Amino acid sequence: MYRLLEKTDEEPVASLLTGKVSSGMTRPLPSTVVSDLAKIVGHEHVITDPDRLLVYESDGLTAYRRPPRAVVLPSSTEEISAVVGLLHSNGIEVIPRGAGTGLSGGALTTPEGVIVGTARMNRILKIDVENRIAIAQPGVINARLTEATNPYGLYYAPDPSSQSTCTLGGNVAENSGGPHCLKYGVTARYITGLTVVLAGGQIVEIGGVGRDPYATLDLVGLFVGSEGCFGIATEIELRLLPITEGVRTLLGIFESVESAGRAVTKIIACGLMPAAVEIVDGPTIKAVEASVFAAGYPLEAGAALVIEFDGTEAGLDLDADRAEQCCLEEGAIEVQRATDPEHRVKLWRARKKAFGAMGRIAPDLLVQDATVPRTKLPEVLAGIDDIGNRYGLKIANVFHAGDGNLHPNILFDRQNQNELELVERASKEIMQLCVDAGGTITGEHGVGVDKRKYMTLVHGPAELEAMAAAKRVFDPASLFNPGKVLPEVEVKGATDTAKILATGE
Amino acid sequence: MTGAPVYEALGQALDAQQERLLPCVHCGFCLPACPTYNRLGNEADSPRGRLHLMQAVVEGRLEPSSEAFRTHIDRCLGCRACEPVCPSGVEYGTLLELARETAAKAAPQGLPTRVLLKVLGNRALRSPFFFIGRLLRGTRLAALGATVLPSYGPLRAGRLVLAMLASTTRWQPMASGDAISGNTDSGSDDVSRRSRVAVLLGCVQEGLFTRINSATVRVLEANGYEVVLVEGQDCCGALHAHGGDLERARMLARTNIRVFEASGAEFIAVNAAGCGAAMKDYGTLLEGDPDFVQRAEEVALAVRDVSEILASSGPRIGASIPCKIAYDHPCHLLHAQGVEHAPITVLEAVPDAEVHIVTDAEECCGGAGIYGITHPELGGLIGGDKVAAVRACLADAVATPNPGCMMQIGAGLRLEASNEGVIHPVELLDESYQRAGFYRVRGAE
Repeated sequence: MYRLLEKTDEEPVASLLTGKVSSGMTRPLPSTVVSDLAKIVGHEHVITDPDRLLVYESDGLTAYRRPPRAVVLPSSTEEISAVVGLLHSNGIEVIPRGAGTGLSGGALTTPEGVIVGTARMNRILKIDVENRIAIAQPGVINARLTEATNPYGLYYAPDPSSQSTCTLGGNVAENSGGPHCLKYGVTARYITGLTVVLAGGQIVEIGGVGRDPYATLDLVGLFVGSEGCFGIATEIELRLLPITEGVRTLLGIFESVESAGRAVTKIIACGLMPAAVEIVDGPTIKAVEASVFAAGYPLEAGAALVIEFDGTEAGLDLDADRAEQCCLEEGAIEVQRATDPEHRVKLWRARKKAFGAMGRIAPDLLVQDATVPRTKLPEVLAGIDDIGNRYGLKIANVFHAGDGNLHPNILFDRQNQNELELVERASKEIMQLCVDAGGTITGEHGVGVDKRKYMTLVHGPAELEAMAAAKRVFDPASLFNPGKVLPEVEVKGATDTAKILATGE
Repeated sequence: MTGAPVYEALGQALDAQQERLLPCVHCGFCLPACPTYNRLGNEADSPRGRLHLMQAVVEGRLEPSSEAFRTHIDRCLGCRACEPVCPSGVEYGTLLELARETAAKAAPQGLPTRVLLKVLGNRALRSPFFFIGRLLRGTRLAALGATVLPSYGPLRAGRLVLAMLASTTRWQPMASGDAISGNTDSGSDDVSRRSRVAVLLGCVQEGLFTRINSATVRVLEANGYEVVLVEGQDCCGALHAHGGDLERARMLARTNIRVFEASGAEFIAVNAAGCGAAMKDYGTLLEGDPDFVQRAEEVALAVRDVSEILASSGPRIGASIPCKIAYDHPCHLLHAQGVEHAPITVLEAVPDAEVHIVTDAEECCGGAGIYGITHPELGGLIGGDKVAAVRACLADAVATPNPGCMMQIGAGLRLEASNEGVIHPVELLDESYQRAGFYRVRGAE
C-alpha cells in the first residue's frame, strides 16, 4: 500500500520557504557518457558547462531552482531513443523539457537528472486537410500549428495562455487547457496518436487515427497528462477543427469579482454554451493596462468578464444578448462588444498576457491553479480575498471562470524571507479552501513538483497506489521525471534505484 | 564561485540595474521571437536565458568573465524582437548594453569589434577609413573581391566585407540622384511651411551613403520642412552602446545633444533605424549624469525617423516609378522604435511602386552591426533566410531604412548573384520627386 514518508534523505529542492538555490551541488556526468551523448546529437547540443546549466535551473515556476547535470537537445525520434537508452542504461534520470513555461515545476530536474529538451524538434510533419489531422514534433509551438493550418480553414483548439510559446509536447505532458476548453475540451480530446520513447529508449506507437482508440485499451488517454513520468512523446498526431463561421466577444465590467462570479453561474445556468468565460480581477486589470497589451479595461473596475460565443452566424447575436442580460442582472456596470477582429484580439491579448504582466507590480509571483464547482466561485473568491488580507499578501485573480478553474496569482518578493513563509502558508490555505468547496488541486498546470504536497488532500492511499502502479508499468526503475506528481515515497525509491544502477552497487 | 571581489568590481553596472531585471518573471514568451534561440534551441541563446545569466552575475553566482556569460551575451543580435512580446516590459536592449559593458570590462572583446568601435567613434579616423571604402567601391575592387575570394576559410570575412561595400552602390534606376545642385524648391504652393528639422548625418551614412542624406534633405524640403544644417555633430554612439562601450557612447551623445539643442530645430530627422533608436534612448544612456539627463531626454523627444516626419504630414505624391519593392523592417525601427507603417507610407507616395512586405519581415536580417563578420556561421544562417525571403518576393529592389540592414541584405543578394537593388525608402521618393520636377530651382524656370 502507498505510504507517505515523513522525511526524505534526498537533498531538498530549493523551496519557497528556504529560498535557497541548490546550485553548485550537481555532480558532473561521467565523461564517457558525455562523449557518447555527443556522438548521438552532436557536441554542440550537449550542454555540460555548469555556468550554462544555470539557464535550465527552473521553468516558469522560478520558486524552485536546481541546475541539471546536463542538457541534451536531440532532433529526431531516433536521437531521443538513443539518448534515453544511453542515459537509462547508466541509471541516469531523464527530465523532459519543452519551452520551460510550465507553472508547476514539471521540468525541474532531480539532483541526478539530465534534461532532454525538445527545442530542436520543431517541425510540423504532416497536415492532412481532408481528415483534419496533423502530425507534429513535440517542440512545435502550439500557436504555430494553428498558424500553419489556418490557410486550410483549420485550427488547433486547445489554447493555453502561453500558446504563443509553449510546445505541443509540453501540452501533451500537462494535458493543457485554455480559455476555449470550456466548450472544446482539453488537450486529451485532440490527441489521436503518439510515437513515444519509453524507458530504456524503446520506440512505440500508440493510438493513431487508423486504429479505433476505443476498441483497445486507451494508452493515449493514459499517456496524455502523465507529466513526463511515462516517457517522451516524439511525434504527436492531433485532431484539427474547422474555423468557426462567426464569433462574438463581450467584455462585462463589474464592481466586484463576486458579482462577476455570479454572472458566470447565471450564464451557464440559463443554458448558454459559451466558448470561453474568463474573469480578470481588479489588480490584474491594473497590471495589464500598464503593459504593452493594454486593452482599455477600465482601471477602477473590480473585475472584468470576457465572454465569447462562436459557431454558425445564426443565433450568435441572440446568445450574446442573453449573456449581456445575465451580466446586467448581476450588476454589471457596462457590457462592451468587440466591434472588429482587431478589437477582439486586443481583448484576448490582455487576458492571455496577464501572467507575464504581473512582473510590473511585484518582483515574484506564484501562479496557483485549482478547480472548484462553478456555483462555488463567489464564495471561494471571497475566501481567497480573505486569505490574502489575513496574510497581508496581494493576490490577483485571472482565470477560466466558465469551468471553475481558478488562477490566484500570489505576488511577493523573493528577497523577503518573512513574505516567503506567508506565501507558502497562504498557498496551502487556498488549496484547502478549494478542496473543501468540492474542488481539486489543479485545473491545467499539472501537479509537477509544487502540488505534490497537496495530493493527499484529494487522493487516498489506494488511488495513489494505482497511479504509482501505472508509473511502474511504464517506467519500472523510475528514471523518467521522478519526483513529480506522486508524493515523496516514489521519489526516494527512484533516487535509490538510480544510484544503485549508476554506481553498480 | 570564487572571485567575489572581481564580481564586485565588474558586476556593478548590472547590479545598479536590478530593478530593470526584476520584472522578468521567466514566462518564456520571448523565446519564439528570438532569432538565435529559434536556430540553436539552446536557452542560453534566448532572451530569458540571457537575462537569467545577467541575474546570476548580479547575484554573484556567475563570473562576468566566464566564457558562458561572454559568449551568450555576445551572441545576441541585439534586435530587441523580445521587447514588444514581453508582457512585463523588460527593457532588454538597455540591459544588454550594460551586460556587454560588464563582459567587456571583464575580458577584452574581439579585435574587429574594438577596431571598428575606435574608428567609427573618431572623426579623424573614420574619414580615411570610409575614403578607402569608397575607393574600393568606386574602382569596383570590392565587387571583384567579393566574387573571387573563397566563401570559406580565413578570407571569408573579407569576402563578406567587400560584398557589403559593393552593395552600397546606387540602384541603377535611381539615375537622377546627386545630379541636382543648388537650392531645392519646396515646389508647388500647396505645401505649407512646416517646422525646422535638423538631420543626423551619421557615421556610416556620411561615409558610404551620402546620397541618402542628400535625398533626406531634399525630400523634407519638398514637403515644406525647413532643414537646418547642424555643424559639429558626430556619430550617434549606437554601435558603441551595443558593443558595451557605454563611456564612448555617452561622450558622443553629449556632443550631439549640445549641437542639436543649439540648432533650434523642432525635430531631429534620422534616416538610420539604429541611430534613431539610440538617440531616442539618450535619456536612459545618460540617466546617471545629473548635468545631462534632462537635456538628453529633451533631445530624445525631438528625434524622429525621417519616415515618421513624412508620414505625419502625409508625404506629397511624386511621379510614377513602375517597380516592385520588397520592404523589410529594420529591427531598430520596428521593435525598438515601434515604427511599422511610416516607411511603407513613404514608399506608397510613389505612384506605381508596388510594395510587398517580405515574409517574416519582423525577424532580424543578421546584420546587427558587425555580427555577420564576428559570427559568420550564425549570422550567415540568419542572413541566408532573409535573403531567401527577399528573393521570393521577385521584386526589383528591397527597401529597408537602415544602413546595416541594407549592407547585410545587399551583400547576401550579391553573393547569390541575385539582381535586386537595395534602397532606402526616401531614395525612391526622392527619385519620384525628381521625376515630378519638384526640385526645379525657381531661378531656372
